Amino acid sequence: MSADILIKVENLEKVFTGKTTVRALDGVSAEICRGEVVVVIGPSGSGKSTFLRCLNLLEMPTAGSVVFEGTDITDPAVDINLHRQKMGMVFQHFNLFPHMTILENMTLAPMKLLKKSKADAEAQAKALLERVGLADRANAYPSQLSGGQKQRVAIVRSLCMDPEVMLFDEPTSALDPEMVGEVLDVMKELAREGMTMVVVTHEMGFAREVGDRVLFMADGKLLEEGTPEEIFGHPQNARLQDFLAKVL
Amino acid sequence: MSKWFASLQADFEQTFIAADRWKSLIKGLGVTLEITLLALLIGVMLGVLVAVIRSSYDQMAAQKKSNGLLSVLNGLCKLYLTVIRGTPVMVQLLIMYFVILANSTNTVLTAVLTFGINTGAYVAEIVRSGIMSIDAGQMEAGRSLGLNYVQTMWHIIIPQAVKNILPALGNEFIALLKETSIVNVIGMKDITKWAINVQGRTYQAFMPFIGIALVYLVMVIILSKLVNLLERRLRSSER
Repeated sequence: MSADILIKVENLEKVFTGKTTVRALDGVSAEICRGEVVVVIGPSGSGKSTFLRCLNLLEMPTAGSVVFEGTDITDPAVDINLHRQKMGMVFQHFNLFPHMTILENMTLAPMKLLKKSKADAEAQAKALLERVGLADRANAYPSQLSGGQKQRVAIVRSLCMDPEVMLFDEPTSALDPEMVGEVLDVMKELAREGMTMVVVTHEMGFAREVGDRVLFMADGKLLEEGTPEEIFGHPQNARLQDFLAKVL
Repeated sequence: MSKWFASLQADFEQTFIAADRWKSLIKGLGVTLEITLLALLIGVMLGVLVAVIRSSYDQMAAQKKSNGLLSVLNGLCKLYLTVIRGTPVMVQLLIMYFVILANSTNTVLTAVLTFGINTGAYVAEIVRSGIMSIDAGQMEAGRSLGLNYVQTMWHIIIPQAVKNILPALGNEFIALLKETSIVNVIGMKDITKWAINVQGRTYQAFMPFIGIALVYLVMVIILSKLVNLLERRLRSSER
């Protein structure tokens, strides 16, 4: 693996204070290299989604730093909006904008932020839709699409901003089983093209096949990391062995 | 029966036709509509502004962040809502006319400001409920694309919120239209004042008052139809 580090996370902590205090992230340090596919696995409530959401500051960490392309984006003086343009995010529940057509969903950000002309933005969006086999749905509304189609649109909507890294937050967890494959196929193709990806998922098959590195989290801590062969073939940590025994 | 009908006809002529009273009725209608529409404009703008400030503050507070300016603005908005919703619009109108704008002779301005500020307070809470009704994922999706808070609000949250609150907004607009009937206390000649004047001249009460009641009713029916139409158009874009 090249040492070209894109995201460097150090001692990340996230404490939710409310009626009960929850330590969702407890000193997590990790590095994401350019072109790498990092898969984050772990039991629910382990903090893996919180970890992912801290990478683009949708969740503000209570301590620690996230260095993206050499800039510590947790610094309040940093314009986070500029950095988020380069970090695409795909959500479990798609979060398409229901009042806009697919094309409008995809062209809004490029037109507003990258100041692309409508024609340019639409040409790019249509080319991307073509790639995921949804060219004919450009003028449909999200409610007219199936779950798998929605998630494919959500992926290409993020790609319209030409991001440096794509963050996936359980992208297939809300899908009917027969639609999981079509979304994973798009993600595999992205990985093959060299996109840097951080994927939180329960799809162990995907982790094993596509992941360059797997992180195992439990109780807000990063307990083990390694190649898929190491993690799935020779798990060291007792929690990981227990987890794998349950899901495989 | 025919005698009753003839007397009704005589009343009608005396109320609307004699001395060209229908002309002053139309003028009064103009006053009512002018105040309503301008106040509506001010009310909606003010309401959206206050709603956005209040919900941004709530969101910041939920994330345990603080922002001095936003806290001050939020405090001002809360004061505004409390005072305006806590006092009768009639009293607000009198205060605006006799105290705040005591040196102004422009009664239209006085009425429009009063009703605009009054409507804004109610619209603000309606819009805020609309903003809260939108799934948090929509804001997250917008922000994750790099849009800032205001851009996400404007392009993604508000359009969806408006769709959800249209019936409640329609209610508010209807209430505003009818509430303008008190402007005669500051000497404005709207349709209610017209009816009072006609009654004073002709000693007929039935025809002028029932007459303007019908005029209000027709205006409200038209307004609700317009709101319904808008609602259907916005919904049709979704499926």
